[in-house]
Amino acid sequence: MDQFIQLTVDGLTLGSVYALIALGYTLVYGVLKLLNFAHGDVFMVGTFAGFGVLQVLGGPANPKVPIWLVIMLVTLAAMAVCAALGVAIERFAYRPLRDAPRIAPLISALGVSFFLANSMQLLFGATPRNYDLFQYHEGTLYLRGLHIGGVTVPLLRIITIVAAFVLMVILWFLVNKTRTGKAMRATSFDREAAAMMGIDIDRVIVFTFILGSALAGAAGVMFSLRVPTNVSIGFIAGLKGFIAAVIGGIGSIPGAMAGGLILGFLESYIQGYVHGAHIPDGTQWSDLYVFSVLIVLMLFRHQGLLGRPDIRKV
Amino acid sequence: MKKAFVLALAVLATSVVAASAQGSQTAAARSLANFNCSKTITLPFVTPLTGGAGFLGAEQMSWAKYAVKTLAPGLGLKVKLVGGDTPVEQGPAPAQTLAQKYIGTPSVLALLGPSTSGAVAASTKAYYAAKLAHISPSATRTTLTKTVGGTFEGSPSFFRDVPGDYIQGPSDANFMVNNLHVKKVVIMDFQEPYSLGLASAVDTTLKAKGVSTIRLSAPNTTTDYSAYVTKVPSDADIVFFPTQKPGDAQTFAQQLIEQGKKAKVFGGDGSNDASQFKQPGSYVSNFAPDITGIPADAQIIAGWKKDNPGKAVGSFGPPAYGAAQIAMTAISKACKAGGGSTNRAAVFHTFKKVAIKNWILGGSFKWSTKSNDPLNAKFYIFQIQSNGSYKLVG
Repeated sequence: MDQFIQLTVDGLTLGSVYALIALGYTLVYGVLKLLNFAHGDVFMVGTFAGFGVLQVLGGPANPKVPIWLVIMLVTLAAMAVCAALGVAIERFAYRPLRDAPRIAPLISALGVSFFLANSMQLLFGATPRNYDLFQYHEGTLYLRGLHIGGVTVPLLRIITIVAAFVLMVILWFLVNKTRTGKAMRATSFDREAAAMMGIDIDRVIVFTFILGSALAGAAGVMFSLRVPTNVSIGFIAGLKGFIAAVIGGIGSIPGAMAGGLILGFLESYIQGYVHGAHIPDGTQWSDLYVFSVLIVLMLFRHQGLLGRPDIRKV
Repeated sequence: MKKAFVLALAVLATSVVAASAQGSQTAAARSLANFNCSKTITLPFVTPLTGGAGFLGAEQMSWAKYAVKTLAPGLGLKVKLVGGDTPVEQGPAPAQTLAQKYIGTPSVLALLGPSTSGAVAASTKAYYAAKLAHISPSATRTTLTKTVGGTFEGSPSFFRDVPGDYIQGPSDANFMVNNLHVKKVVIMDFQEPYSLGLASAVDTTLKAKGVSTIRLSAPNTTTDYSAYVTKVPSDADIVFFPTQKPGDAQTFAQQLIEQGKKAKVFGGDGSNDASQFKQPGSYVSNFAPDITGIPADAQIIAGWKKDNPGKAVGSFGPPAYGAAQIAMTAISKACKAGGGSTNRAAVFHTFKKVAIKNWILGGSFKWSTKSNDPLNAKFYIFQIQSNGSYKLVG
């Protein structure tokens, strides 16, 4: 039972980060029908922005302000940097290609991805950066927390999970309960009709990039609170986020959240429970199992779990 | 139609055979092509400059650069050091591409690297075909210099100035048994050649000594090890973690504590980086001692620090300095023997004759007569102290 609780906590931590990344993909796809492959690298920039602010605030061992404020400021700073970056990417790499064939912005997105990864390396080098919050009060954030059975859910994981869910709730509220959110939904449904109804499409798209990129920044910090980052981390993180978005049904916000969590739980349980006496071991071949499950899922539900089927007028 | 098809196949096969014959003739011809030693020699260093092991390449390059700057003039050479990037995440492909590039560059008489074993295995035969000697300061896989179970992945043109895993694996395992008195050890690998070789070497020695071992294998792209930590038994004494990303060793050590596991992390030479792997109580082995404790190296360290302000002396850099010293000495000797000109084959044959009196890693350097390994080299084991420093314990 303890192992199940531990793996559930692991899956939830991992899944909530995947979900935050997936939301960025799904928001942009929903509005622009664009697979923003630079999103993983925006996430990477967020991890670095957070690291920089953490150092400015005195580092993990001797922070100048209370640790909860450090984490909040680091997260907000990463979100702000990524939001600005998202706006810049949209303005210079995607907007000029908005009416081009769909392959053009896709290639542009890949170009931006490599541009960001290489530029960051040029600026900051290849050395991994570790937030190393273990240094804070001799590992308090790792050692104290919630006790469930024989398992301690450390404060750092609780912070990650709670922050991710709070952000998801805020996003849900923004999209479903505000005027701008309504404009986003209208643009997503039919861009031309929305424009004819007086919606400023450019503004909606910029807002979408701000939201998606800010979430990537937050995900970057949530991820790096526990794991070191480097300039090439964006590729794998982006890939996982993209897959989570597809599982949930790309374009669907609840789908992205569900997809991220499913991917996190699948990885965790497979690594924990599939032992390799007569079958491939789960720790070694977790990707094989995870992607096999996903292929089967996509075969039976092409549009993802909560995605809408693509209906065409004939 | 059938006739035409057979004819086309025959033409294709003939072209392929002709092309490969041409290729090997070209490589052989290049190996004997004379090079005027007064010209600038290109010394490539094939190492991961980007990706998760980019720190390793950056450190090695800085020391090789310092060696070129300080030693080349005294050896009568003009040397230009160039970096060739082989990110560990991209597997052996970049090493093969770079090998073709450097084989095709006439001013390359010898190479430094590749730094990782997988990259050496993928490219050394091409270098040998061109009689291009190359020396690695960190590729430790056993089968690069020795035949084990019928497997030999190296070539006569591959040299290294650090000992192989056939020394590291047993050294680490013996230390665990004799000094730490372990009963149960979890051994991880990361599904790439470096960790697989080292993990197997440790596993074999531990089993032979009656220690219970558990193998876990994680993809090389893993960033969060929580699920693996969950599988570490609470009575395990050590987790052997032969990663090439020291930050991952740190993460694993912290996640062990997070989950209340008593096991300590024991990393190999790939995790030897005091700036990233600093969890107190953990162990790490390396092919080089801490050279800051060697009085004869004081001037070299001071000079390197002047060129690299704010950087700490690590364990990967000094062997790279040594490798550059060996390569340049071999070229210089071959140039002298050739009366001011030389070729790749001559440099290759001179490599094994190089001996260094004041070796950067302490004592003197000589080659083993049995393999292209250093004579009497050994691995050093450090324990991480509460201030993050590495203390030599074995």
